[in-house]
This record gives sequence, C-alpha cells and structure tokens, in this order.
Amino acid sequence: MKHILPLVAFTFIVATLTGCGPHKPTLHLYTWSDYIDPKLVSAFEQANNCRVKIDTFDSNETMYAKMLAGSGRYDVIFPSSYQVRLMAQRDMLQPLDKSKLPNVTAHFSPAYARIILNPEMVFNVPYAITFTGIAYRKDKVGAAEISWASFDNPAFKGRSSLLNDFRETIGAALKTLGYSLNTTNSAELQKACDVVLRWKKNIAKFDNEQYKTGIASGEFVLGQGYSGDVAQVMLEDPANIGFAFPEEGFSAACDEMVIPKGATEVALAHAFINFMYDPDNAAKNIQFICAIMPNEHAIAKLPERYRSNPAIIPTLDILSRAEVLRDLGPANALYSKIWDTIKATE
Amino acid sequence: MKRNPFPLIVLFLVLGFLYLPIIVLTANSFNLSRFGGTWEGFTLNWYQQLIQDNQVWVAFVNSLLIAAGATLASCVLGTTAALALHKWNTRLQNVHYGLIYTPLVVPEILMGISLLLTFTAIGMDCGLHTIFLAHTTFCVSYVTMTVLSRLQDFDDSLIEAARDLGANAWVSFLKVQLPLLLPGIISGGLLAFTLSIDDFVITFFVAGPGSSTLPLMIYSMIKHSPKLPVINCLSTVMLLLTFVLVLASRAFQNIKQQKTPQRG
Repeated sequence: MKHILPLVAFTFIVATLTGCGPHKPTLHLYTWSDYIDPKLVSAFEQANNCRVKIDTFDSNETMYAKMLAGSGRYDVIFPSSYQVRLMAQRDMLQPLDKSKLPNVTAHFSPAYARIILNPEMVFNVPYAITFTGIAYRKDKVGAAEISWASFDNPAFKGRSSLLNDFRETIGAALKTLGYSLNTTNSAELQKACDVVLRWKKNIAKFDNEQYKTGIASGEFVLGQGYSGDVAQVMLEDPANIGFAFPEEGFSAACDEMVIPKGATEVALAHAFINFMYDPDNAAKNIQFICAIMPNEHAIAKLPERYRSNPAIIPTLDILSRAEVLRDLGPANALYSKIWDTIKATE
Repeated sequence: MKRNPFPLIVLFLVLGFLYLPIIVLTANSFNLSRFGGTWEGFTLNWYQQLIQDNQVWVAFVNSLLIAAGATLASCVLGTTAALALHKWNTRLQNVHYGLIYTPLVVPEILMGISLLLTFTAIGMDCGLHTIFLAHTTFCVSYVTMTVLSRLQDFDDSLIEAARDLGANAWVSFLKVQLPLLLPGIISGGLLAFTLSIDDFVITFFVAGPGSSTLPLMIYSMIKHSPKLPVINCLSTVMLLLTFVLVLASRAFQNIKQQKTPQRG
C-alpha cells in the first residue's frame, strides 16, 4: 500500500497535466474578474463543442506584462481602449475578420462611436463602456444639483470622496473649468490643480474602493465613482442611491475584445466575439456586468429596471457630454507632477 | 509576590495581532453586507455563491494539483540531496550546499523572472507544468534544509549495525534510515505544500493560459470583483483545511513517537 500511493498520485498528476479524455478545442480568455456571465460561457461551450478557460488580471499593466513576456497564449483578451492602441502599435494584435463577425456589423450602435478610442475597429470590438460620474445619496443631498461643483459645497464637508486616480480627479477639475480631459496645456493644468486643492479641503479622502461602502451605508453623501461599480450598489438600494453625470462633462472608458498574435484558436475566438454580440446574449451580459455594450438591439431587450438606470444605459443627451480619456504618452508626466503637488499639500 | 503583568500583555497583543484578522475575516464571510464595513446580519449566501462558482473550483484544483505534485517531487529530490550533503564533506558538496541554499535567499521576483525567461528561451509554453517545475525548484531547498537538520541528530552507527546484521545498502536505508527520517521529511513536505499553495509572485510569472491558481485568482478578484465576500468564504475554507492538515500531521507524529519505544 505504501508504495502504491505515490504511484497513483503520480499517474493522476501526469494524466491531468497532459490532459486526458476526449480532445476538444479550448478557447483561452484573459479578462477582468467576474466580467462575463458564466451562463453564457457554458452556452458557448455547448454550441461550439469546445471548452472555455478563463484567466483573470487586475490591471491593464499586469495583462500587458504577461503578454510581452510571452507567457500568455490567449485567444481573446479584454484590455481597455488605450491599451489596445499600445498593443496595436507594438504589433501584438491580429486584425479581425469582419466577415466572421456578422453580429457586430448588424448590432453595433453608431451612437457610441464618438466615445470609443478606436472606432475603426480594426483590431478591437467594444465590450463594455463605463463612465466616471458622481454617486450620491438621494435622501441626504436635498434639492442640490449634483455636479463637480458640489465638491465645493460646504454642506457636504467631510462627507464626500474623490477618486484616487490622477487622470480622473484632475480630469474632473479640468471639466469644471471647461477644458478638455486630455489637455496638455500647462496653464490649464495649473488652474485644475488649484481646483483640486480647493476640493481637497472639503472632501474626506481620495479613494477608489471604499467609497462604495461609504455611500451604501450613508456615511458619505457624495463620491466620484465609476458607473459600473455604482450601478451594482444602486441595484441593491435604488431608492436612496443615485448616479449623476455632471453637467460640466465627464470621462468615458471602454474595455474591448481583441485577438492577440499567437492565438491558437483564431476561428473560435471570432465565433466567441460574434456570440457575445448576439442581442440576447449581450442583454444577459449587460445585466451581469452592469455596464453597457454598445449593441443597439441588446439594449432594447433589457428589463425596465436596467434600461431606465442611466448609470448603466445613459441617454444620448447625457452621452453627448462624455469625453474619452486618451493615453497621453510622455505628457502623462505633467499630470503625475501635479498629482504629486496635490498629494503633498496639506 | 506580585507577578509582572508585562509578559501577559505582550502575549495578548501578539495573539490579537495573529488571530484577530482571521476572526474578522471569518465573521465577514457570514456578513450580509457586501462591503464588509458594517454587520448587517447573518447569511450563508456567499458560501452558496462560492460553491456555484466554477472558476474558483478550477483554480482550487489547479492549486491542489501543483502543491501535491511539487511536494512529492521536492520530498524525493530534497531527501536525496540532504543524504548526499550529509554523507560527503567534500568541496563539491560545499558548492552543492550553496546552490541548494541560494533559492532560500534569492528574492522571489528574481526567481520568477529568470524561470520565465528560461521557459520562453527553450520554447516551452507556460501552463500547469511550468508552475509545477517552478514550485519544485524552490520547495526542494526547504525540504533539504529540514531533512538535513534531522540528519544532524542521526546516529550513523545504526546503519552500520544494520549492515552488520546482514542488511544490504538498500534495505538498511529503507528499513532503518528512512523511517527515522520520516518526521523530518513530512514536516519538510508540509512546509513545501503550504509554500506552494500560497505562492503568488513566482506563479504569476510562470503561469500560462488556463492555469490560474487560487492566489492569482484571489488577487485579480480583490480589485474588481463585485462579490468580495466570496473571497472571505474561500479563505475561511482554506484556513479550515490548513488547521485539519496541521492537526493531522501532529496526530501522525504522536502515533510515530508512541510506536517507536515499543519497537526499539
């Protein structure tokens, strides 16, 4: 018995490592955590007689490092728009075969083309768009109009938070002043710096995670936040929590589906992207991730409580105020310098 | 005589720092609130979600397979390395000792990158097998060190006696030396198992498509998952498993110790 046990264990390990059983093609996805409805994944597996394996990353940079190092042989990955550009420049992506993506052609909503960084969609298909706005407690803000200027409002002193993200936070200040989110004009940036410093005196903290807790419990009244995150909290307490798209303008960001060079299941990858753009599937997925896929016919299929929630599906009027964040390359340093000043000033 | 309260205070502080986080984590896994800030009531909902989360289980099985495989391989390699180091005291063995010792002090991130570079250089696709190789690489050192310390107390005349009584080299090793070394090997193996199952840095580099382990998965969940409490549940389950494992190994060692005097 003593000699058999290691032998059995060894055989088991070897068998698992080499992958026994009937050989099915496997599609490898590399995406954000909980970013796809698992029911759709099993439906895709059945429809295409394949297996889908999902690995997750926590940031674009993590994913990028992995792909650059050559240890990520994935078939479909889900980077943000600016990262798509960088990867395309580095020749890491395959051009998509549009003839294999009839659903994308049929259902993509052109209304969103303006806020997508790569609307030509040579390498990418938009997966989900989120916005940065303000989460607020309907029961505690009274009649006040919620906009970026609310962070100056003494009524909310010590009960609001801004994001701890230099592009987003300085971007909000730039919008308040009527400038572009992507400006590289140092005079404009200096004015924005002064605005954020003024806000800093009035807010409780800069924070990316805990603000949701604060808003949910009512401890905080206002919080700059991402629409996808806030929509999840709103669904739990729709009576008290709202999401405002500031009058002055706000940022939009998009995660996309791309096929990297070196993908092994290219045909299956196309089938997967096409599958996700089927209006029924897309509608299910929008409900799961609480962020919009720019799929015209899927939006019509959403249940009322999702369709009427602007944090998930903003109206075209709201959309017209959105501006997409671009990667500024070397000019990023201008922003991080100002951010350092803001962080260092008491 | 009045006893000095200072040691007692330190004891409670240390215990508090060690175990309070675990208690908070376990309690939060039953918390109705999704954000864990406040207690909103008892629920088993997160455990239900954990059971249904297919991806977590795939990662869990990956972690277990790799840990078991790496433990087994490093126990065999580590024990033989320790035997060689113990038996010969030549200059070559000094180099050998240095080589075995190095992975204990080399920063993990260096090891991860160098392993990844090696794998890509020889054109090996990353996956479970590369994680297995990487984990075995660093686990061997730990097992070797543990077995080596056990060998330091080992009475070599026992083997000579066995050989005198007619046992050949193989039998004397199998029937005399191995049973006496077993507690050392097992504790080295347990160390290797725990190191392998929670390794993040090295695994991050050498993991390939479809080979996410639990630590990799938890890390990506922390920032973006809308169901954070599921991580608390998962950690609680892993803690329980660890406790069971530790208790089992303790019980195993007790049995060994009770048996030895009767035989001897």
